[in-house]
Amino acid sequence: MTRITRFSRAAGPAGQTGRAGGPAGTAVAAGRAAAPEREGQLAGAAAVQVQDLTVAFSTPAGLLPAVSHVSLDLARGQITGLVGESGSGKSTLALTLLNAVPQPGQVTSGSVHIDGVGDVLGLHGPALRRARGARIGYVFQASQNSLNPLKQVGKQLLDLGRSHGERDLRGLLSKARRLLDDMGMDAERVLASFQHELSGGMRQRVGIVFALVLNAHVLILDEPTTALDMLTQASVMEIVRKVHAEHHLTTLIISHDVGVIGDLAHRMAVMYAGRIVEEGPTEAVLAGPRHPYTRGLLAAMPRITGDAGLATPLPGRPPDLASIPRQGCVFRDRCPLAMPECEQAEPPVTVTSDGRQFACYAAAGDAA
Amino acid sequence: MIEVREITRTFAGRGGLVRRGGVRALRGVSFTIPDHGAVSLIGESGCGKTTLGRILCGLEDFDGGDLVVDGQSLAALKPAQRAPYFRRIQMIHQDPYSALNPTRTIGQILADPLGLRARQLGKGGGWLADRRAELLGLVGLDPDYVLPRYPHMLSGGMRQRVVIARALTVDPEVLVADEAVSMIDVSLRLGILQLLRDLRDEVGVAVLFITHDVATARYIGDGGRLHVIYRGTVIEQGSTDTIIQHPVHPYTQCLLSAIPVLRGIESPAPARLAPTAPLDDRQEPPGCLFEPRCPLAAPECAQRQPPLSQLGGTAQEHACLFPKARPVVAVPAGLAAGQGD
Repeated sequence: MTRITRFSRAAGPAGQTGRAGGPAGTAVAAGRAAAPEREGQLAGAAAVQVQDLTVAFSTPAGLLPAVSHVSLDLARGQITGLVGESGSGKSTLALTLLNAVPQPGQVTSGSVHIDGVGDVLGLHGPALRRARGARIGYVFQASQNSLNPLKQVGKQLLDLGRSHGERDLRGLLSKARRLLDDMGMDAERVLASFQHELSGGMRQRVGIVFALVLNAHVLILDEPTTALDMLTQASVMEIVRKVHAEHHLTTLIISHDVGVIGDLAHRMAVMYAGRIVEEGPTEAVLAGPRHPYTRGLLAAMPRITGDAGLATPLPGRPPDLASIPRQGCVFRDRCPLAMPECEQAEPPVTVTSDGRQFACYAAAGDAA
Repeated sequence: MIEVREITRTFAGRGGLVRRGGVRALRGVSFTIPDHGAVSLIGESGCGKTTLGRILCGLEDFDGGDLVVDGQSLAALKPAQRAPYFRRIQMIHQDPYSALNPTRTIGQILADPLGLRARQLGKGGGWLADRRAELLGLVGLDPDYVLPRYPHMLSGGMRQRVVIARALTVDPEVLVADEAVSMIDVSLRLGILQLLRDLRDEVGVAVLFITHDVATARYIGDGGRLHVIYRGTVIEQGSTDTIIQHPVHPYTQCLLSAIPVLRGIESPAPARLAPTAPLDDRQEPPGCLFEPRCPLAAPECAQRQPPLSQLGGTAQEHACLFPKARPVVAVPAGLAAGQGD
């Protein structure tokens, strides 16, 4: 494994140990055979590689996986969208990219390689703290709750700089001012404001500034537009598009709203019950969804175009951690195409020549 | 039938920190909710649509204007005398997670209002239990499964159905649904919208649908009317389909332009608009209220406030000096193939 010189003291030994390189889930991993093993040899395709990741929560009912054998590449310079309903594990997956799985969750298999950082899951202590923020910017869901209500935004920014050992705080502030200006805000006013003095859209923008001010090259946005009205949502989306392009970021957007992902993302992944059930270029997935869940989700989506009378609700309800089937396909109870083999084992990931993936027996039969 | 006539509401300023003057939440809004009709109010956060819904349910007072319920003017009544009229208008809350008492089972939650109703109607014996099962059936829930359970044991979609069943216990004429699907999982949203649509047919209840998401307003049934609210006034109104397809007010056009466009199956409209500034309700422009943010504002717009007026012989009304239909709504990709993108 390549040494990460900058954080070498902590990253060295920790990077090698503590991870069980899981042989489990080979069906999912099989589709990824071509993925390079060392971040030093990355060919430039993926800035973030999640491989065979399983995150389980320990509950009275035992160890339950919220994310199960997930593999996902975030292509460098692209916006990847992750769509899923509540309880699908999308936020857990995103937090794992920061190695910040909340207790009582634990990573039981897999790795998360990030350009310039290495396996994030192997980092601890100061090295991990420096990777967060300086390499990976994270905009939290409900950004109003992630700002300190007792401190002005500018002071929180300085705290951020200090905790990362930033010497040039003046430079940090002027960078933040520039970012705020770019987002169409009055920088001086925002820096002197408390969070309650800012509107929802402004807080969301402040969250993006905090994520980018230390020059992170990977930006993760968890539900960036939830709880915002349509006009604010549109302006936040425009800002995400703009900073993504101007700062040459690799961006991951997590949302329950197919509309937001469908508008912003170059590639999209659909998550259900802790699995990525479909992944591919956004246009292709939306125009010809392969997995029955993706199809159902699109058919059930209130849209401004098309015949409102043709919309059909998806039967059943999304499973929670305890009710995810332990065996077989996790979607079979709601699936119109369920077959006997869906009961037996989880469908393997089918990879098609046009860069799409899906995990479904019925769709694999169609594609063959 | 419920008539809203020139309702106004001003919230007193809190002074000091936030703002000194009052906030004019509603500046004279009028519309009618016909029996088993579907009326939608759309607008951004802070436009007054939620205040209007709360006034209709009796949760908030109005300063001026009148609310006429089945011919009875509520402004003419003392607050205590209004209660029986507000019974006919019931609210479905946005958040089904906080709208139900977590310490009571669904059976208990429904029994309270049904008990009151039974006394009002002079029913006794098994009426309550029968009616409770009937209502749960109406909202698509299995009474045997739901009744003994607590709210936390149900999904968001099921909880919202319980909230709707609870609203129906007192035989309302109007359901006020304020962002009723925004907290519901995407795959279950359409089910709730279709339930509201079906209740119009099956129970004969009218629906007042309050939302910032115009697309959902299309799903509560045919014959719907839509009112676009901006800073406490209606700036455009007409049938839901007409307003979505031929909006003439730039604000409505901004709202419709803001709807995400799905790559691969939709193409962005050629004339998308966006407001030039965020909402600032501290300033009171002398002319059109939208003029400071309007991407198409002309000098005249700052001079006088345009009244709501009819669009050339149609049922559509707008409050704009320069109404003009513009293609702002995304088009299905197949239809737009010729336009190029």
